[in-house]
Order: sequence, then structure tokens, then C-alpha cells
Amino acid sequence: MTAGIYVSIILFAPVVAFGLLAVAAPIRERGTLAGWLVAAATGATLWAALALFFGQLSDPQTLEWTIRWMSGGSADFAQVGWRVDGVSAGMAVVVSLVALCVQVYSMEYLADEAPGSRGRYFSWHALFVFSMQSLVLAPNLLQLFMGWELVGLCSYLLIGYYWRKPEAGKASLKAFWVTKFADSFLLMGLVVLVAATGSFSWDLPAGLSQGTITAVAVLLFIGAMGKAAQMPLHVWLPDAMAGPTPVSALLHAATMVAAGVYLIVRGWPVFEASETALTMMVWVGAVTAFSAGCLALLQDDVKKLLAFSTCSQLGYMMAALGAGSMAAGYFHLTTHAFFKALLFLTAGSLIHAVHSNNMSEMGGLRRTMPVTFGLFIIGAAALAGLPGVSGFFSKDMVLEALSHDAQWGPLVLCLAGVAVTAAYMTRAVLTIFFGEARGAHKAHEPGWRMLVPMLALGVPSLAVGLFVGDFQSLVGEPGYSATEMLSHFIGLPALGVLLALIGFGAGYAEFKGTKLPAPAGLGDWLRSRPMDRFYEAAWNRAVLVVARGVAWIDRYIIDAAMNLVGWGALAGGDYSRRIQTGRAADYMWAIGMGTLAVVAYGLLGGS
Amino acid sequence: MSTVPLQAWMLLAALIFSVGLAGLFTRRNAVAVLLSVELMANAVNLNLVAFGYHRGDLEGQVMALFGVALTVAEIIVGLALIILMNRTHKSIDIDSATELSG
Repeated sequence: MTAGIYVSIILFAPVVAFGLLAVAAPIRERGTLAGWLVAAATGATLWAALALFFGQLSDPQTLEWTIRWMSGGSADFAQVGWRVDGVSAGMAVVVSLVALCVQVYSMEYLADEAPGSRGRYFSWHALFVFSMQSLVLAPNLLQLFMGWELVGLCSYLLIGYYWRKPEAGKASLKAFWVTKFADSFLLMGLVVLVAATGSFSWDLPAGLSQGTITAVAVLLFIGAMGKAAQMPLHVWLPDAMAGPTPVSALLHAATMVAAGVYLIVRGWPVFEASETALTMMVWVGAVTAFSAGCLALLQDDVKKLLAFSTCSQLGYMMAALGAGSMAAGYFHLTTHAFFKALLFLTAGSLIHAVHSNNMSEMGGLRRTMPVTFGLFIIGAAALAGLPGVSGFFSKDMVLEALSHDAQWGPLVLCLAGVAVTAAYMTRAVLTIFFGEARGAHKAHEPGWRMLVPMLALGVPSLAVGLFVGDFQSLVGEPGYSATEMLSHFIGLPALGVLLALIGFGAGYAEFKGTKLPAPAGLGDWLRSRPMDRFYEAAWNRAVLVVARGVAWIDRYIIDAAMNLVGWGALAGGDYSRRIQTGRAADYMWAIGMGTLAVVAYGLLGGS
Repeated sequence: MSTVPLQAWMLLAALIFSVGLAGLFTRRNAVAVLLSVELMANAVNLNLVAFGYHRGDLEGQVMALFGVALTVAEIIVGLALIILMNRTHKSIDIDSATELSG
């Protein structure tokens, strides 16, 4: 089966590269060589993924292969393998393409690092590509969960890449704990699912009670919220920007955080069957889409701005899924992966040139960095949903899905989010590229290893929206084609663009120094990170108090019982060992008297 | 041939056994302890012969012969142990060997 060969290449090329780098220190210590090795493996992955993808385009079908991994209650209890259909083939292409771009980009971006630590960096990249692809191609929720945890591990390792910086260490731990907290719900959902159905499959058997389905769907959704940084579990994503910028582009914008959305796309039969989970999803998504966008307005650090923007866009995907349109959520995931990775890479290019993350230290860069400027504009236009660019089509699909499902509250929030998105991107573009140059730096365009990946991402960021019709047939959900969408340019798309224009205006006015009407003190309150403070307080007041109680019980009840047993054994032994005098006469007495006692028993009363 | 009654032999054997037992409990010289053990063993042999005679066959005497052979072997082992004890403890006082003490 040819699909099997392609899947083997997708999965084994990166894992072999990782194993080689893990074992062969001489290759790893030569950082550039390690980088090219990993990039070659990812290139092979991309080639195989494209082969699968075009196979699916010409002949859509579901190919599946599984092997029993553990025996359990029923024959298909735990299986591993792969499943190739329109959804997974498309995602595999996105993952490998973005990963390849980011890896080539990293070679120049991290050129100043020690070769050994670059080798370490690239070996984690290889592990990430393997983990993400095994998640994407998973045939059931068990393998998806394994890939899910592995990408979480890679995220932890890569955020903490600059481990000498204390904030990087803290951020990696925070990302780990917050996502693990959500993952524990995901695991509970899996346990409930297996207890009810006896398998990890997302195709639910008939006759399952509605309560069980809802429990599974809601628990899985909480897991997805953690990974996709949805409110109120978004707090880890802005901090995760402490990692290298290419990592932020790959893991924390394009692919790993999108795994949260991908879980819902993959487990669609489960979520579709639960009205409660869908309602929760649409509201969580819409609230995140709007409020994370507002938080992005307040940022000066360009990476944090993009991080909040990622939260906000993931919110759009969740809202679309919650409104019942799997295709809209998944399509926005795809376009967002390209344009947000592009934005992060261009931001990295800026940071590389300016040596600062802060937009207030940039300014006037359109003259010194014209290519970066152009690419940033493309990314920003896609993000803001300018007509014709990829983000326009996907965001419009999201809005259409919301209005089609009559979700008016979330629709209003998402439309407001469109204006906010346009405002913060306008503000970013104007602050970074226009006005006077600030800071004592000599900005310059990066070299080809950074420019080529950016250009390679620029093309799909512009154009992928035009293939919306093909995309929908790939997913198997009918909708409109690109021309249809542009032709009925009245209604929601026009409203979206109008709101985006209002956003542009607001951003421009703010740049020009006009004070916009806003409640006094709100900005300061939001900048003080109220959610983080809430979690800290909850941690100190609840978790630590409970932990202290548990520690007391552990020490004074459980340990005390164990110590009592030990002490009793010791004391008893110490007492009884005194019988053993070691004098032969005493033993003889014992034997003699014992014999007498037995005889006396026999004579007197024994039977 | 006058016959001594069986009870008399048993009484004699019990007497010899008790002497041996008393020696075992009271003597501290290892050789004397070994002698006491021998007394007890021979009291049993005496019983065997007496019962055999009473029954009028040779089984008891055969058993006693085995018993004598056994006690000879036991004496050899015991004496070897006493010599060893004398080497290690410079004494054959049985109370001086308390290595089994707990």
C-alpha cells in the first residue's frame, strides 16, 4: 500500500534524525550539520505529506491501518497505526511545511549560539515533527493523546531553550503546568470514554447515553482549551514567548497550539453529538477571540502582541467549531498557521536586526528592511481579513458559520474582534515601520536562510484562501467557492471588512496621538495581568493549603502508622532475642522440659 | 535360668537415663556432658535388649547393635568438637561457648 510507505517516511524520517542526534554526539555538537540533517528529514516528511495530500485531492478516501498495541477488555482496546484522510493529510502538509521553513530560518537566527546547543535545539525540532505528525495521523484518541503529550514535552524543552535566562525557565514550567492541568481533564475524558465504549475510537457506538457523551466531550474540550490557550487557560502562551522566535512561530502559533483545535476536528463525532460542549465551545471561543484581541492592543513586546493575537485567532476557530462548522474551524486553522508563522518569522527578523522585542525601540524600519516590511504587511493583511487574502476567506467562513447557527452573542463578539484585530495590527505596522527610527541600531535585512523561509510562507499566506472550494471538498463539508464568496460581497464579508476599516482608523488615530475614549484605569488593570494574579492567589490560598493538610496527614498519620509497625517489630525482636542465651545447658533444659511437657500432655489429657 | 522381670530392666534403664539427664543439666565439663549423653543413649539400648528378650526374638538386640554403632559415631564427632572447642576457647567449659546468644 503506497500510503503506508508515505506515512512511514513522514513518521520515521524525523524520528530517525532525532535518534541519530540523541546517540551520535559528534553530529549533534556540530550544530549546523545537525540542522541540515533535521531539515533534510523534515523535507522528506514534507515530500511524503504532499504526495498523500495530492492523492487525497484527486481521490478523497479514508485509509487506515492499525496494529494491536495492548490487549484489554475488547479486541480493539488499544491500537496504534495511522489514518489518512483529507483532514490529516492537509494538516500533515501544514506541519511539515511550516516546520521546514522554521528549521531553515533557525539556522541563521541562532547562528550566534554555541554549536552544541544548536544541535540540542534541532534534535528537539526533529522530535517535535515526529510527535506532531503522529498526533496528526493518529487513528484513535489514544495515539492522539500520546502525540499530544509529546508535543507538550517539546514545547517545554524549546521554551526553556535559553535556560540561563530565569524567565525562560519559569515560562517553560508555567506552560508545562497549565497544559498538564488541562491534559488531566483530557485524560479523564478518555477514561470515561473507554469505560463507556471499551475503545479509544472517536466513532461513538449507538445507544450511548447523552450524559456520557456530554461528559466525554466537555472533558476533552477542557484539554483542548489548555493546548489552544483559550480563556481562562491562556496565561501560559504569552510567557512562552521567552523561547526563541522560530519556536514561537512553529509551536506556539502554527502547529502545537492548533493541536487543541485539531483534537476537536478529529474527534468531531464526539463533539457534534453534545449540544452542551458545542455551546461551551462557541462562547469560550468568542470571548477569547475578543478579549485576547483587546489584550494584544496593550502590548509593546511584538512577540507578546502576536501571542495574544494567536489566542484570539484560536478563539475564532473554537467559535466556528462550536457553531457546528468543522470546515470553517479547520480552514481558519490552516490559513492561520501560514500567516501567523509568517508574522512570527518577520517579527524574528525585526528582533534579529534591532536586538529588542519592544516595538517602542523600532520605528521607521520600512526603508531599511523593505522585504520584511512587505511580508509583515501580507501577514497583517491576512490576519486582519483584507479581501482576497487568505485570512479573509477563513474568517468569513467563521462568521458565516456563526450566523448560520444563529449564535448572535458570539457573532457580535467575533465581529468586534475583527475590528480589534485590525486596530492592533495597524498599530503594530505603524509603530514598527513608520515614523522616526528609535534606538541606536543599524537595521538590515537578514540573509537568505531567513528570507527564503519567510517568502515561502508569504505565498500560501496570500493565496491559500482562493482554494477554499477544494478545501471544503477535501474535508467533505459543502460550502461556497472563493468566487461565490467574493461575489456575494454584501452582508457578513462586507460587515467584516467595514469593521476592519474602523479598526485601521482607530489604530491610525492612536498612532497619530489621538486619545481614544477608554475607561480610565482599564488598561493599567489589564496590564497588571489579573488572570495571572488570580491563579497565583488561587495557588497560594487553595492549593498550598490543601497540600499542607495532605502533608500533615502524610507525616502524622500515614508515616506514624508505618513507624509504629517498625518500632513494634524492633521492640518485640529485642525482647524475644533474650531467650537465646547461647548456653548449651539452657537449650537442654528447654528440650528436656519440652519433652516432659509433651509426655505429660499425652499421659494426662491428650487424646 | 531365673528370669528377671521386664519391669526391673525398665526401672534400671529409667534410673540410668535420669542419671544421664541430671549430668547433662549439671555438669559443665564438655567431656562429662558427652558421657551423660552416652548414659542416656545406653539406657535406651538396655531397654531395647530387654524388650527383645521379653519377646523372645532377636529384633531388639539388632536394634541395640545399631544404637551402639550410632553412639560410637556420635562420640567421635563429639570428641572432635570438644578438641576444636579447646583450641578456640582454650577451655572445655561448656558455659564458655555462648556464640549462639541472640
